[in-house]
Amino acid sequence: MNLVSMFIAAVLINNIVLSKFLGMCPFLGVSKKMSSALGMGVAVIFVIFGASVISYGLYYLILEPLGLQYMQLITFILVIASFVQFVEMFIKKFSPALYKSLGVYLPLITTNCAVLYVAQQNISSGYNFIETCINSIAVPTGFLLVLVIFAAVRERLESSDIPECFKGNPIALICAAIMALAFSAFAGLV
Amino acid sequence: MKAVYALLFGLCLGGVYALLYYLNHKTPLPKGCENIKAECDGCKITSCDLHPTHNIKEKEND
Repeated sequence: MNLVSMFIAAVLINNIVLSKFLGMCPFLGVSKKMSSALGMGVAVIFVIFGASVISYGLYYLILEPLGLQYMQLITFILVIASFVQFVEMFIKKFSPALYKSLGVYLPLITTNCAVLYVAQQNISSGYNFIETCINSIAVPTGFLLVLVIFAAVRERLESSDIPECFKGNPIALICAAIMALAFSAFAGLV
Repeated sequence: MKAVYALLFGLCLGGVYALLYYLNHKTPLPKGCENIKAECDGCKITSCDLHPTHNIKEKEND
């Protein structure tokens, strides 16, 4: 598969939030402010890429040669949790400014099912290393894109005249549904 | 033999996680980051550290 079309498909057509409905917790919880949404999106890109590459290496270098494929799930969960701890520690130590903007979202990423989905998808789809890297950047980029668009919509909703019963999560979910419909129009693009 | 490998591998991964968790919690927070909180509205998962009910409980304890 062409790597460019693979990237576009992962970002727009098979968007992880709007077509797979994964990562809904941060999508709804951290999308009220644009700055928070951007911070969360960047942190997710970093963690998904790192965790996926490490998981890929562990699977093909250790689990498969030893015939321990059944340990795939527990391995990936521990890799993600360990990677998040490492990244948090690294940022705390060497980049306080980055910790101020991203640090608070890092523990939340451990429970983001999108991270585990990407690690599993890379193995189950039989991607090679390059494809794994592209997919591990494309999927969270799609997450960031949708999160930023949704944050912009919600910021405008704050100043809009909305019926009382629709305020808060109801109108946010309606907007998410309309966004999912809009993104479905990308089907057939590549 | 496979079971032994699996056990060793699992223990290694668990050990790495425990070590990183310990080191992360031992690393001091940078200046000015002691009281940063996520701007999360909260979902229904009350066990999550970022759920707003935890902030209310903390304030009550203070």
